[in-house]
Amino acid sequence: MVDDATATYIVENQRCFEDFQQVASQLAGLLVLAAAGSKEATPDHPALLSARELFREADQSLRSARPTQRARKHHEHVAKAAAMIGAALQQTEGAFDLDRILTPLRAGYTELERAADALPGFEKVSYERACCGQSRTREFGADEGVRPTRPLRRPAQ
Amino acid sequence: MTAYSLWVMEYAAVPNYPLSGLVYGMHNQGTRKLPYCYIVIKGQGQIAMVDVGYNHKAHGEVLANTYGVRGWHSPREVLGEIGIAPGDISTVFITHAHFDHMGNIEDFPNATFYLEERELTKWVWTMSLPRRFRWLMLGIDPADIMRAVDLARQGRLVCVDGDRENVLPGVDLHAAFDTHTWGSMYVTVRNDLAANSQSSWGFCGDLAYTQENLRGNDPNDPEYIPVGLATGSQFNLIMTTEEMVKSVGGDVTRVVPPHEERLKDLFPSRITKLGLRITELALAEGEKSQVK
Repeated sequence: MVDDATATYIVENQRCFEDFQQVASQLAGLLVLAAAGSKEATPDHPALLSARELFREADQSLRSARPTQRARKHHEHVAKAAAMIGAALQQTEGAFDLDRILTPLRAGYTELERAADALPGFEKVSYERACCGQSRTREFGADEGVRPTRPLRRPAQ
Repeated sequence: MTAYSLWVMEYAAVPNYPLSGLVYGMHNQGTRKLPYCYIVIKGQGQIAMVDVGYNHKAHGEVLANTYGVRGWHSPREVLGEIGIAPGDISTVFITHAHFDHMGNIEDFPNATFYLEERELTKWVWTMSLPRRFRWLMLGIDPADIMRAVDLARQGRLVCVDGDRENVLPGVDLHAAFDTHTWGSMYVTVRNDLAANSQSSWGFCGDLAYTQENLRGNDPNDPEYIPVGLATGSQFNLIMTTEEMVKSVGGDVTRVVPPHEERLKDLFPSRITKLGLRITELALAEGEKSQVK
């Protein structure tokens, strides 16, 4: 169980955590292509451009986070992850040296895993959208035939 | 002749999985046990696998507590039941990059991994899309991508571009693009090693979850019904199913879905002391049965 303030922190910072995860994935994906000799691994790959933009947004969001005492450890790990992933991103400017990118990237991803372990609400993989995710409703006793429907709302502009 | 012994090795299971997730459109039809399995192919001086399962250290607790996955055991324990150690595996064919199929690559230190290049390139492309497209990233674990970098650098990741014959003698890889995932593949084993084999097997990954995907609900009037989850198209899934069935000479029981609990009704099997099932599809010349 977490207190209300920490619950608010979790809700407000899930997006930031997921964005750092996404940046790490984008970079790692490019490294796999490069290491496997794919011709698609180029410094102007859209994933790299997207990673830089997303990193800027996530880093800004991280700076405005207000962790509670309970969330402090989590926040420290995310901050370390951001520093490492940022360092990895910097190494992509210029020659694509795998070692120089991979070392901080791996360290950054490890920090994200530690952050996920430090506080509930931050998943390493989005299981809900994976094959196994569909078993969740049954496991919690809901009947898929009589799930209540939500009223339709216009999306926020 | 029978060139390879073939086993389906269960390593975990979901006891109650909604049928609608397995067979398109089968809503409100109840649940079924969903075993998680990988395939062992042993013969011709080699031991290969189709898929390697997921990594319990990374995923086990969440999967067990939230999604009801039960009974996970390591490859050392699972393969040990048939006298094989993970270090004995020389070749692994990854049907697709979901974490429950490629999430345990680090447990196979001597294996070379085959994966469709399109599976990688399309995942990377997908990652560059805005957040609202994140459904397309389903089932991908960033840590697996990180581990794949190491594999590639060690020269143990072979990116396949389309079909490839005789990766091992009689073992062929078939691209199934834009089906369950962007770059899925299925594996056929021509177990008599003949070009026009009379003894072929198809290992389909998640291109089919159950026999219903391969022959519908009425045995007297078979039809193909796609799986309940696809990044690509159901049209492609159905056409690939036709290819797979043809590749095994029309006998749908020779297309082996690793999530099909009822393989035990078709082939000899046993439950191990860990509570996991081993199903024996074929035995190579001189090989001892592991289920009797």
